[in-house]
Amino acid sequence: MIDISLFVLMLLGALLALAVYLPLRAGQLSLATPGFYTIGGTVAALLSTQLPGLGGSDAVYPLTSLLLEMIVAIAVAGLLAFLIGKPVLKLRGIYLAIATIALVEILRVVLLSSPWFGAAVGIFAIPQPFEGPEGYLIAYGLLLAIVAWACARLERQPLGMAMAAIRDDELAARCMGVSTDQVKLIAFVLSAIVAAAAGVLAAHYFNSWNARQANFDASITTLAFVVLGGSRTWLGPVIGGLVLTALPELLRPIGDLRLIVFGLVILLGPIFIPQGLIKSKQS
Amino acid sequence: MDGLLQLLINGISIGATYALFALGYTLVFSVLGVINFAHGAVFTCGAYFTYLLLGGAVGSNGMLAGMHFPLALPLLVALPLAGIGAAAMGLLVEAVAFKPLRRRGAEPLLYLITSLGAGVILVNLIQLLMGAEAYALPGNLLGRWPAVLALGHGVQIRTVQLLLLIVAGIAMLILSLWLNRSSYGKALQAVAEDGTTARLLGINSGAIIQLAFAIASFLAGISGGLVALSVNIGGPYFGIGYGLKGLGVLVLGGLGSAPGAVLGGLIIGIAEALVPAKLSAYKDAVAFAFLFLMLILRPQGLLGKPPMEKV
Repeated sequence: MIDISLFVLMLLGALLALAVYLPLRAGQLSLATPGFYTIGGTVAALLSTQLPGLGGSDAVYPLTSLLLEMIVAIAVAGLLAFLIGKPVLKLRGIYLAIATIALVEILRVVLLSSPWFGAAVGIFAIPQPFEGPEGYLIAYGLLLAIVAWACARLERQPLGMAMAAIRDDELAARCMGVSTDQVKLIAFVLSAIVAAAAGVLAAHYFNSWNARQANFDASITTLAFVVLGGSRTWLGPVIGGLVLTALPELLRPIGDLRLIVFGLVILLGPIFIPQGLIKSKQS
Repeated sequence: MDGLLQLLINGISIGATYALFALGYTLVFSVLGVINFAHGAVFTCGAYFTYLLLGGAVGSNGMLAGMHFPLALPLLVALPLAGIGAAAMGLLVEAVAFKPLRRRGAEPLLYLITSLGAGVILVNLIQLLMGAEAYALPGNLLGRWPAVLALGHGVQIRTVQLLLLIVAGIAMLILSLWLNRSSYGKALQAVAEDGTTARLLGINSGAIIQLAFAIASFLAGISGGLVALSVNIGGPYFGIGYGLKGLGVLVLGGLGSAPGAVLGGLIIGIAEALVPAKLSAYKDAVAFAFLFLMLILRPQGLLGKPPMEKV
């Protein structure tokens, strides 16, 4: 049975895929997305459970408070990405990927070990702004629409073109006057913001939150969304995120074999469709 | 002081397994310039092979429930055989996840995904066949040997730790001799230096890459068996943590540097052992903190060559 919750997860997958796509468009392989997603969720979980003032008088959690959480989470994640991005983005290729894996691992261990963030058990009873999954479907749909629209617009603007230029040839881009460090940093911060916003909604949707979401598997799964969907335009990650999130659930009837099939898909995908499902028009 | 010595012994013995594991990573990285993310899964295979070859029975949750290998081999036979089994797995991974991309000259990003796909398949196959439960190796492997050797002044070493150190030491010694003295070892270094030139000089680089995978996976398999012996097998996913920690070791020592991998393994093993018990929850972050600092301060690692930028 396919229910609404699967569609909610698919939209979440598409959002995370866009977060991976943004730095990748500038040629930067960052695997830090689950980390910023976890930061977003942790901010939302802490604010909504620790500050009674946000709850309001109604049974449902006010949407204005949700919006406020989102602004705080975006600010925290964006600032962190800005501070970390400066030194980390000096690294190239696989070195950057490994550094971001390390970031996610450190973040998880620290969040899971420290009592301020709910430690190993996590934070429970996160209040609900919506009465059912339909509300989350609309909220995620809205968020995805905004982010996808912004990405589509970005691709046609000088910043988006500068990003693509860095991906194709960083040295040449720098010679053409693109301030590569700045563009890469902007892409990294934008990615963190998208992931954190997705995390805020997720913390409410899942009702409880702990840092186990920030793990290496999640890093690679979200990267697989982009690689299989196509990393040239915004549509690729969206399709990849939707399809690959649905796949393990749709395969549930085959039971234990489903993760093996999922493994086969991410093993064979890059071999048979190296450019992903959605190819770009120009190249 | 004695307490410190004890911590050092513990740290060095765990560091030796990290080193063995990371040597495999670095061998493959040096010939291909990419990281094999299925390495952790191959390590896990080595641990399970060791368990089965020692005569261990499959638990009740897998498809092979209740079955066991007809012979219970002695440890010193089972361990190298498990390594060979792991090498076969490594060759399989190379054939399905690396060779098709290499032929096409694909971008390194794709190797990351395909090798991880291969790892996911291996881990879930193990889960399907042997169940998700933890396995402990049979208890009487050491025969008449005592489980713990006292070194005086209250310092002691577990016999398993000693064995681990000896096996790891021998493996590293043979590897370094082979790399530097034999013609295959030199060919491997040549491919690592410059694949195209090596091919022009008549070196079959495809065969050398397979050789690197086989050796790397053999080392991973042995270290899997040794870790299973010293702690136990925590389930099909237990190699993933080692796989990630191995990345820390690799970067600390320098990507592509074999002595660096050994040094990095020992440093991280000792650093972890020195984390005070009160902060033990943070122990798993030590390797990554090292890794992160190293990348920021000195991306080429302790013993690696700095990456060159094309102009």
